[in-house]
Amino acid sequence: MKKEFDFLKNIPNDPGNLIKGLQLLQATEGYISEDGIRAAAEYFGRPEADVEGVVSFYAQFKRVKPGRFQISVCDGTACHLKGAPLIHEWLNQELNLKPGETAPDGVFSLETVACLGCCSLAPVMSVNGKVHGKLDRKTMMKILKEYAAK
Amino acid sequence: MSRISKLKIGLASCGIAAGGDAVLEALKKATDLPIAEVGCIGHCYAEPLVEACLDDGSSIMYGNVKADEKSIANILSLGESGRFEIPAARKAKELLKVLALAGKIVPTKLEDYIANGGYEGLKKALTMKPEEVINEVKISGLRGRGGGGFPTGMKWGFLAAKPGFDKTVICNADEGDPGAFMDRSLMESVPHQVLEGMLIAAYATGASNLVIYCRAEYPLAIKHLKIAIGQIYDAKLNVFGDRSVEISIKEGAGAFVCGEETALIASLEGQRGMPRFRPPFPTDRGYQGKPTMINNVETFGNIPVILRDGGDTFAATGSEGGKGTKLFALAGDLKYPGLVEVPMGTTLNEIVFEIGGADREHVKAVQTGGPSGGCIPVELFDTPVDYDSLRSLGAIMGSGGMIVIGKDRCMVETARYFLDFTHRESCGKCTFCRVGTTRMYETLERIVAGKGCEADLELLEDLGKKIKAGSLCGLGQTAPNPVLATLRFYRDEYLEHVNEHKCRAMQCNALVDIALDKDKCVKCKICLKTCPVNAISDDFIIDPSICTRCNSCLDSCPKHAITRVAKGDK
Amino acid sequence: MSIEFFLDGKAVTAEAGQTIMDVARANGIEIPGLCGEKRISKTTSCFVCVVKDRKTGKFLPSCSAMPSAGQEIDVTTDEVLEMRRTALELLLSEHNGDCEAPCTLACPAHAAVEEYVRAAGNGDFETALKIIKERIPMPITVGRVCPRFCEKQCRRNIDGEPVAINEFKRLAADKCYDSYMEDLPELTGKKVAVIGGGPAGLSAAYYLRMQGIKAVIFEQMPFAGGMTRYGIPEYRLPKSLLDKEIAHFSKMGIEFSYGKKLGENLSLNELKSSFDAVIVAVGCWQASGMRCEGEELATPGIDFLRNVVENNCVAANPGKVLVVGGGNTAMDCLRTCVRLGSPQVICLYRRSEAEMPAEKIEIHEAKEEGVEFQFLTAPVKLEKRNGKLVLTCQKMTLGEPDASGRRKPVPEIGSDFEIEADTVIAAIGQKTDVPAGIPVNRYGCLAVGDDGVTVGDGLYGAGDCVSGAATVVEALASGRTAALAVVRDLLGIPMEKDNPINVSRGKWQDLSKDELVVLRDNLSAEPREKLSFIPLEERKTTFKEVCATMSAEQLAKETKRCVECSCSDKADCKLRKFAGEAGCKADAYSGMRQAPSYDVRHPEIIQDRGKCIKCGICVKICKEVVNKSLLSLQKRGFASCIGTAFNQGLPESCRECGECINACPTGALDWRKKR
Repeated sequence: MKKEFDFLKNIPNDPGNLIKGLQLLQATEGYISEDGIRAAAEYFGRPEADVEGVVSFYAQFKRVKPGRFQISVCDGTACHLKGAPLIHEWLNQELNLKPGETAPDGVFSLETVACLGCCSLAPVMSVNGKVHGKLDRKTMMKILKEYAAK
Repeated sequence: MSRISKLKIGLASCGIAAGGDAVLEALKKATDLPIAEVGCIGHCYAEPLVEACLDDGSSIMYGNVKADEKSIANILSLGESGRFEIPAARKAKELLKVLALAGKIVPTKLEDYIANGGYEGLKKALTMKPEEVINEVKISGLRGRGGGGFPTGMKWGFLAAKPGFDKTVICNADEGDPGAFMDRSLMESVPHQVLEGMLIAAYATGASNLVIYCRAEYPLAIKHLKIAIGQIYDAKLNVFGDRSVEISIKEGAGAFVCGEETALIASLEGQRGMPRFRPPFPTDRGYQGKPTMINNVETFGNIPVILRDGGDTFAATGSEGGKGTKLFALAGDLKYPGLVEVPMGTTLNEIVFEIGGADREHVKAVQTGGPSGGCIPVELFDTPVDYDSLRSLGAIMGSGGMIVIGKDRCMVETARYFLDFTHRESCGKCTFCRVGTTRMYETLERIVAGKGCEADLELLEDLGKKIKAGSLCGLGQTAPNPVLATLRFYRDEYLEHVNEHKCRAMQCNALVDIALDKDKCVKCKICLKTCPVNAISDDFIIDPSICTRCNSCLDSCPKHAITRVAKGDK
Repeated sequence: MSIEFFLDGKAVTAEAGQTIMDVARANGIEIPGLCGEKRISKTTSCFVCVVKDRKTGKFLPSCSAMPSAGQEIDVTTDEVLEMRRTALELLLSEHNGDCEAPCTLACPAHAAVEEYVRAAGNGDFETALKIIKERIPMPITVGRVCPRFCEKQCRRNIDGEPVAINEFKRLAADKCYDSYMEDLPELTGKKVAVIGGGPAGLSAAYYLRMQGIKAVIFEQMPFAGGMTRYGIPEYRLPKSLLDKEIAHFSKMGIEFSYGKKLGENLSLNELKSSFDAVIVAVGCWQASGMRCEGEELATPGIDFLRNVVENNCVAANPGKVLVVGGGNTAMDCLRTCVRLGSPQVICLYRRSEAEMPAEKIEIHEAKEEGVEFQFLTAPVKLEKRNGKLVLTCQKMTLGEPDASGRRKPVPEIGSDFEIEADTVIAAIGQKTDVPAGIPVNRYGCLAVGDDGVTVGDGLYGAGDCVSGAATVVEALASGRTAALAVVRDLLGIPMEKDNPINVSRGKWQDLSKDELVVLRDNLSAEPREKLSFIPLEERKTTFKEVCATMSAEQLAKETKRCVECSCSDKADCKLRKFAGEAGCKADAYSGMRQAPSYDVRHPEIIQDRGKCIKCGICVKICKEVVNKSLLSLQKRGFASCIGTAFNQGLPESCRECGECINACPTGALDWRKKR
């Protein structure tokens, strides 16, 4: 196992801890790299193909490096009814990004998430985990501008 | 005159999202008074909420608080403006049992919980024999709050019947229904209450291993639970005489199907979350091959109440179709979205109109049970909400998500939305679910695009029934429900889409144009500037071939001169 | 400990550990299933094996469900069968592959093209001929005159020209026809009369004999062959070769009786009483007229051609010739006239060249030989003036497409003009002249039942007289069907049907080059081999065959151009088998299919994900039986697939044990080399 993945040793190497290990990998690296999969496979004693199967099953795991700011647009029922598709439309117009993509300059990446549990503030999106609610086009543009300036 | 002795600020996820953290900073800057960071009282529409507790024991609440000096000063001076009162109708209908402490105490303080009657239930349970505890749960009539509605006491009995203590109790906190947030709120606001319920279950069933499977999208809930677990270990609340139980949290990784118990167990074991054929049932062979039982967060949240007050008292509330109270996450087209707790059997009329403050003229239906559930048209709102009544309407109680759907929402599009969700969340194992839901989704896509035909409706019904019959787990067995229910109650909307290419709600973009009313227009040109694709000409003609129907102009028009109209209408 | 329960109402006993499927099998009921494999833990994925618990109303996967005492299980009710059918149809709807190759599906006779091309390419022409003759009993003829339905659907059209498929038949026949003899079964004593010795009649007689039924062919002309003899000119199909081809039928014991015409010196009732069955294959021998004033002055095309044949290609110079019509018969007439010495030969056709029904190659060769074409020209009136024929014509323009999809010609007012000629030939089309006493349908053809051949009361029909004028290969296919229908009715052998399930990845017109699934390493990028023609002058003045048979070396190169489109697992695929048995429609559900991604990075094994049913047997076999774990299920939902680590394909550590291939219910995992 490459030294850079030594942090995995903070978790017991029981094969059942694979998902926990992958979550730690992603929290550390921002995504799950091929080397990360190799390290997890070795550390948790799981075949590499198997690890890839687990990684690709769960929506949380990313195999490509995300942008500096990860925009997660909630498409839960309430948000959908309150205009999540429009938010996607606006983001697409403004950033030229579709869900699952990262901008070439590496600033923003965009994803759709199932539900952030803030239905009463619908529509919402989160940027790097911070939830922004009651979005309309104006507030959304303002939020984007603020992050882009950071 | 009374003075402020303490301030409370609601800092559950919804409070933070509404700007509560900034309010907290502003309060800290402005005063040295003690500030308690509490959970959610359920009135999300009024967040951020600040409660000024007075030295006479009373308190005054302020809603929609801004982080500016003026607002803060107003609170600190107990100003009249911005005061928040719980709407009278809601006060009358709501019955706070499970949520009694939510938003009242600091979630991460064990002493706060204990001071308010916390762990009384566990204490009482430990004085009883395990089978007596199970019997109490049976007497209460509690049914699983995760959606299935299986009698909880019976489930506990199955696990208790397995010999030894090498057994696992899992708390399913993978609240995956889009539109539901009861469990998040409970875990964030009263984590100890959930854990107390789990500890009682461990005692009663003889389990030594407690696992909480929580979705990773709930970082605050996880944080609070982790703190609470540490406190339990420190206070040795997990030690029952000569045996002790282990409590751990595992984070889900984003898969709706993991709400299904065999999939959840696979996920806990570090595998792909795919359900398997039962039998063997988890009580026979579950987590790591050991006997296992799974209950949902809200179910555990009820347990301390049952033990504290007694099963009989609990059963006195509610209706034939369900005992006790139920939490609902109210959202959608209504005035007061939020988390409510009402006795089982409360009617939809009471919940949606009286508590939720929805506009009677505007409401079309309510959607319960998320992607597994159905919709109930407003004509049937005198239906009492309990397991059996909802099932008879083709809907399900589900975990408690309740979305109010207004007349400007298209039911076909709503069904399409749910199938979009389920077909992507299908694990891909069973043919009917993997391919069948995809075919249903594609058919609905065709219909909302105005390319459907009447035969498509038959296909949806036929395939829907077969998918329900031919799937291994609850996801596939319920995925067609939103389609079948809307086909049952809103067939005319489907027929309009396929025969007349019309969407009466003006929601389906392919069947809608954007029109400008020249009489109302004041030629301010704001719409021209707003339009992101330059579809509006200088003489205010909207080119339907360029327009993306993004509504930007509608929202920006100060005169509301722009509207959505049926395609081809001017 | 055993328990008792009920399958379709019948009490059965289950031993401990037996699934419902196991018990059903032990009691003689086969339940289809794709995802069960005894050596691994349950996958329970395909749901093809569902049964119904009568009490609970629930459907159970019988491969996994254990029976409980007293349980009543429905196994073969309509409801259960429909669930199974739907499961299979859903799997077919996502299946992205080709069961049969498009060439085979395009061939009216469904000849196994890929197989004979491969055999001939390997130098085994005997086997190639055997495969060909399973469907095409006249390879010498078809190898020369077929319009090549197969080549038109060949996927190599995507990046150039199709494989020269028809040349394989020609060479295989040229090489092996004399020495080849079928394994003939013993005669059963049944006897069938075949009226008409054209390709349909010959084919019917051939396949009857192959089932042990003796056939007697009654032919009105002095020689057999029908239109292949009297319609197709010598330069396309030399009579010496046709004679050789037909002689083989006699060698097989088929009897010929010449100069016999139904209604004249042959009675249907007598035939019926002295034979076990009668097959009518009298062809289409009546030419259609030009439908204009003076049409009787024109020579009917087929009569003209027959006359030339009957006179051994010696006929008077027809002078300046006008041929009206744009089909293959018109081309034959035109090119025959060239060879008879006409100074000028003109083809008149009422639409444009693009709409001409004649084969492109025929038009091309006619042009090479000096034939002139006047398109958008229709006859109005034919008259005789001063010993010459004068044809008044009208200019046409193309309007909206008609029922046939071709643009309809519309006359231009006042555009009439005259052309003078010595001979005018009408090659418009042919009709059948159904003998008296045989039912006729509204198109004037012989009326048959749903199977396309059965008339009833021991009478059958085949060939042009059933379908209207068509091609040789269609007549052969029809003759074979008639033979099989007779065999069914006389010997009680069910008609062997081609597998009704043929999933297709689409026509080549809808595919791009990188969508071709190429299993072979040595797919040739060379252009199609060229035919060698005799000198043009010789073509114009003699009736010698215009081009030579391609050489074995040329065809070896052509074989390497074959993409081998058909599924490597077409014979063993369980999905295809069960879907066929369940009466599924391959296109019952439409929608997105699996991505056409296939992996041939491993030298021996192909992973064709488009054909995967996601049962995961291979994953479990590799993990639980082989102990390797080189495969895994990846992604989820509709996108789920079987993958390898880092999508690098099967690694070297795969010992090619073949366990996954043997267990795969479809062709998603298979050996690369087709055997």
